[in-house]
Amino acid sequence: MTQIKKTVTLLRRSPYQALAAILAMSLTFFIASIFVVLIIGGQIILNYIEQRPQVIAFFKDDVSEAKINEVTEEVRTTGLAREVKYITKEEALAIYRERNKDEPLLLESVTADFLPASIDISVRRARDIAQITEILKGRQEVERVITPQNLVDQLVKWTKAIRLGGIIFVSTLLSISFLIIIMVIGMRIALRREEISIMSLVGATKWYIARPFFTEGIIYGIIGTTIATFLIYSLLLFYSPNIAQFLGPIQVFPIHPVFFIYLWLGQALAASFIGMAGAAIALYRYLKIH
Amino acid sequence: MIQFEHITKNYSQNQSALDNISLKIASGEFVFIVGPSGAGKSTLLKLITREIMPTSGKILVDEEDILRLPESKIPALRRKIGTVFQDFKLLLNRTVFENVAVPLEVLGKRDPQVEKEVASVLEKVGLLEKAESFPAQLAGGEVQRTSIARAIVGKPKVLLADEPTADLDPKTALEVIELLERINKDDKTTLIMATHNAAIVNHFKKRVVTLKKGKIEKDEKVGSYDSD
Repeated sequence: MTQIKKTVTLLRRSPYQALAAILAMSLTFFIASIFVVLIIGGQIILNYIEQRPQVIAFFKDDVSEAKINEVTEEVRTTGLAREVKYITKEEALAIYRERNKDEPLLLESVTADFLPASIDISVRRARDIAQITEILKGRQEVERVITPQNLVDQLVKWTKAIRLGGIIFVSTLLSISFLIIIMVIGMRIALRREEISIMSLVGATKWYIARPFFTEGIIYGIIGTTIATFLIYSLLLFYSPNIAQFLGPIQVFPIHPVFFIYLWLGQALAASFIGMAGAAIALYRYLKIH
Repeated sequence: MIQFEHITKNYSQNQSALDNISLKIASGEFVFIVGPSGAGKSTLLKLITREIMPTSGKILVDEEDILRLPESKIPALRRKIGTVFQDFKLLLNRTVFENVAVPLEVLGKRDPQVEKEVASVLEKVGLLEKAESFPAQLAGGEVQRTSIARAIVGKPKVLLADEPTADLDPKTALEVIELLERINKDDKTTLIMATHNAAIVNHFKKRVVTLKKGKIEKDEKVGSYDSD
C-alpha cells in the first residue's frame, strides 16, 4: 500500500476528526487569504495615489517663469519628488477646457489669465508630502498649496492597521489550527496504540510508524488551503464588479490567475509545515515506543 | 547464537525476575523455557528483543552485544527475531493476509513480492484459504497460526514463542507446536519457546531450561517438565 493510500484509509476510519482539522485549516487560511488580498489591494491603492500628483502649488499671478523654475528646482533638489511638472496658465486653461467640455457655460469668458500657473508634484513616498508642502508654503511666490495628505494618511493608517490586525488574527487562528492538529493526531495515535506497539515489535522503525501521521498533517494543510483558495477566488469573482465600481479608476481587476496559484502554493507550504509540526509535537508527546 | 551472561532483572528493589542467569543457545536449536508463572520466562524473551533492559549482565545475539545497541538499531534486531505471542497481538481490523504482510511492509518490500511471500507462508501454516478472513472470524488455532505466519514471514534467524498454546485446546496446541517444530527443522530457525504446558514439553523431547524464582533450576539436553 502506498503512503497516501494508507493515510487516506486512516482518515476514513475517523472522518469527523479529519473534518474538524480540515475545517480549522480552511477557515484559518481563508481568513489569511482575505487579509493578504486586503493588504495587497491597499498597497495597489496606495501606489495609485502615490503616482498621482499629490502636491499642487499655485503661483501668484505676477510671479515670473524664472521664479517658478527656481521653486521647481528647489523641490527637485530635496530628492523627495519623483516628478515635478510645471503647468503654465495656457496648459491650465487647456485642462480646464477638457474637463468642462460638456458645459459650454463654464467655458465662456474664461481665459488663461483667470487661471494660475502651478507645479504638480508626485512624491516618492507618501510620508514626504508634509515636508514638500512646508517648503512650498515657505515660498512667497506660492499662493496656495493643496495636498491629499489626509487621504494618504488615512490609507497608510488603514493599511498598517489591516496588516497588524491580520497578523494578530491569523496568528490566533494558526495557533488554534495547530492545537487542533496536535489533538486530532494525538487521538489517532491513542486509538492506534496497540497497532503501533505491534509494529514496533515486528521491527518497524520510528520513522515508519510516524510517517502516516506526518502525511496526515500535510494532507490537512493541502486540503484546507485548497478549499480556502477556492473560496477567496469565488468571493473575489462574485464581488469584483462591485469592488471595481467602488475603486473607480484604480485598476485592481482582473486579478491574474497566477496570483491565486502563488497564493495557494505559499499557503499550502505554510499549512503543510504547520501540519507536520503539529504531527511532530503529537508524536513526541504521545508516541512512546519501547 | 544467543548468550546470556550473568543476567539479572529487577522490576523493583524487592522483586527480582531473573537472578544472575547465564545461558547459551546455539543456532538452529529448539529450546523450551519452562517454569511456573512468575518464574521469569517472559522476561527472558523480552530481553532478547530489547523490549526491556536487564539490571545487569550481557546479552549476545549473533555475537552482538544487544544491550549496547543504539535505539535506532533496535528495529533491525527485531527483524532478525520473530515473536509469537500468547495473546496473538494481531491487528483486528486487518485481514489474515494484511496481518502477515506487516513485517514485509516494514521492510519496504513491493506489493507483488509481499503477495508472493505472504501466500507462500500462509500455505506453509495451512491458512491460504483464510487469507481474506479477519481474526475475529478465525478459530483459536487459526489465530495462533496467523501469528506464527507473521513471525516467520520475514525469515527470522530466531523465533520466540511466549506461551503460544496457553489459550488453545490440547489437540490444537499439539498442531501448533508441530508447526513450530517443522519451521525449526526446515528453515533451521532457532526456536525458543516459553511454556508451562508439561504435556507438550514432555511429548517433544527437546532441550528444556527450567526456571524457578528467576534462577535456572535445570538445563537438560533432552528434558522433561513436571508442572506440579
